Amino acid sequence: MKRLKFAAYDKQESRAAYLFIFPAFLLLALFIFYPMFRALLISFQNYNLISTRSAFAGLDNYAKLFTDRDFGASLWHSFYFTLVVLPVQTAISLGLALLVQRKFRGVGFFRTVYFIPVVVSFAIASTIFKLLYNKDYGMLNVILKGIGLQGVDFLSNPDISMWGIIILCIWRAMGFVMIIFLAGLNNIPESLYEAAHVDGANPLQRFYLITIPLLKRTMAFVVIITTMDALKIFIPIYITTSGGPAGSTSTVVHFIYETAFKQMNMGYAAAAAFLFFFLVLAISVVQLRIFRTDVEY
Amino acid sequence: MKKSLLLLLAILVAIGLAACSSNSNSSSGTNSASGSEAAGEPEAETVTLSFWRHDYAPEAEALKKLIASFEEKHPNIKIDFQMIPNDQYETKVRTALAGGNPPDIMALDAPTLASYANQEAIIPLDDYFAKDGNKDDLLKPVIEGLTFNGKMYAAPNNEGTIVMFYNKKMFEEKGIPLPSKNVDEAWTWDQVLDAARKLNDPSKGVYGWSPTPWGFAGHEGAPYSEMAFLWQAGAEILSPDLTTSKGYLDSAEAKKAMTFWKSLYNTEKVSPKELPQDAFWNGKVAIHVDGPFAFSYQEQNFPDFKMGTDYDVAPLWKDKNMIGTTGSWGMAITSKSEHPDEAWQFVNWVTGVEGSKVWYEETKNLPARQSTFDSFAELKEYPMNIYAEQLAKYGHPRPVTPAYPAISEAIRLLFEDVGLGNADVDESLAKAVKKIEDGIALQKQ
Repeated sequence: MKRLKFAAYDKQESRAAYLFIFPAFLLLALFIFYPMFRALLISFQNYNLISTRSAFAGLDNYAKLFTDRDFGASLWHSFYFTLVVLPVQTAISLGLALLVQRKFRGVGFFRTVYFIPVVVSFAIASTIFKLLYNKDYGMLNVILKGIGLQGVDFLSNPDISMWGIIILCIWRAMGFVMIIFLAGLNNIPESLYEAAHVDGANPLQRFYLITIPLLKRTMAFVVIITTMDALKIFIPIYITTSGGPAGSTSTVVHFIYETAFKQMNMGYAAAAAFLFFFLVLAISVVQLRIFRTDVEY
Repeated sequence: MKKSLLLLLAILVAIGLAACSSNSNSSSGTNSASGSEAAGEPEAETVTLSFWRHDYAPEAEALKKLIASFEEKHPNIKIDFQMIPNDQYETKVRTALAGGNPPDIMALDAPTLASYANQEAIIPLDDYFAKDGNKDDLLKPVIEGLTFNGKMYAAPNNEGTIVMFYNKKMFEEKGIPLPSKNVDEAWTWDQVLDAARKLNDPSKGVYGWSPTPWGFAGHEGAPYSEMAFLWQAGAEILSPDLTTSKGYLDSAEAKKAMTFWKSLYNTEKVSPKELPQDAFWNGKVAIHVDGPFAFSYQEQNFPDFKMGTDYDVAPLWKDKNMIGTTGSWGMAITSKSEHPDEAWQFVNWVTGVEGSKVWYEETKNLPARQSTFDSFAELKEYPMNIYAEQLAKYGHPRPVTPAYPAISEAIRLLFEDVGLGNADVDESLAKAVKKIEDGIALQKQ
């Protein structure tokens, strides 16, 4: 008798739950899953962006991607970008978070200053950096030359152009990551540090033995989000370099954009997008497994 | 933020929200004729035509004037005119076409015409031209540039080509003889390079020669001026039947052009890898190249930098051949338009014999019609005569083929690789040929 009652209650509960999920799911289905499904179909076709006709292509688009040097190069650029941004940005942001976590006069000012770039629109930031970077008249190079150093031609030298983008992106994102780390740091109970202090642990030991392990969840979030964002980088490239100079900053998303909207080869672009989607998915799964944690506090 | 949102929207529409396309018509205002019908208004039906063009201030003024006079003459037709930022224009048009929701009339750059025509996104205008379009009045290269598979798909607003601009004061300071104003006596590459070497002054940040008007830009502006180098050297981009670039773009002549280009940026160092804003007008570039619209730009933005004292123009440079790239923007009617006849009335109003005169007066762009040439004496005088004569004698349109987007991209990257990247000429040419071949193969499927 009692069990039956519980069952009815459970049923009611789960019905309510489904009702709550439904609106969100509907939106997801309509605006994410359905377009994705259509894109998947398109990736198996020779599909011109503005065409009324399309022809089935089977796996041709995918097969062609594996021999496409431009796509390969764009993959490498995306991964290169990510491999640099991920550790550097995480380290800088964590450093900033540790700095502004302490209570001192004016800490609010510094927190605000570090966070401001996040508020600036990416498009505007990119435009400003484009002006700063100009080889002959940009502020960066004027200053470098003023103090007797050699200028850097981020916008026209294919060997270092990616670094220009990297600096811009780290500058823009570090404030956001800093806030996340700050929240994580504030979640670590003060008592642990006090106990360690009593046990005679020095600041470095406290950082490696308490802060880092207890930040693992936050770290997981930061690493996964940063990786995905970095791999998908597009706006600053579209605005500052258009993939140049000489194709040296053409990332995967830029390649997809160019193929779809400039070359109007939607089928091929969709195939590239799906291939990339599965790559990012695989990376995220691996990262989740690595960061699986059982530290509780 | 706005860009990313736009892109997101673009992608969403593009991947085919087919379900929404039927009722999204009204929301973006493609045509609201059906709306007024539904309202059951008793008077004559008002047709609203949407018209998209890229944003360029002097031309927008001209269009607003023409639209006002057109609406006055045709009270039953309203023009919904939208200007779209230049770098987003093509994407926006293509997304709208993909979504089945394009404007009635769209502006297009001559070489993109074939892609649209080939996909039947725009309609041929031959019947209209035969009726009241005064086609005989149009210049030959203009018709050539707007014709695909024997049919004409757009009406030209104007024609375009580029000539050499030079900083007269700098030339005089260095004692360099000024180039001739006769289009038959254009300077050779070597003459220009020789002058550029003398004019180049890295300590002052002055470059001798900028061979493209907007530097290495990510848009059509770059290939427009770069293609001329290939043709001048005697190379071709495509075979005469437009089916292949093998044996044409990788010819010895093309190699010569690219080797010369490479030297400008990497060994001679007379050309800027990064072109600052308004470099020529600020005296940072001594030899420059630009279209006729540059004069009104100078008047508006650099009124103290005067023609005759500070700068002058001369015909474009030459090598084996004297050739200047031609082609400009025109207006096309989309096949989705429910009112093609009314759309033509408007197109003809803007691009016809009278409209072209208004257009020239406002924009000072090179006319596409002989009648316009005949009615303005200044077109026969310096500096416009250089444009006009170079166009008539040495004009060369960009190839009209559905594979043009691939060609434009391949040429742009080719000149970037070699100029900025100092890449191997043979390798870069092979890469460009492959890209174009892929583009052509795609069109055949």
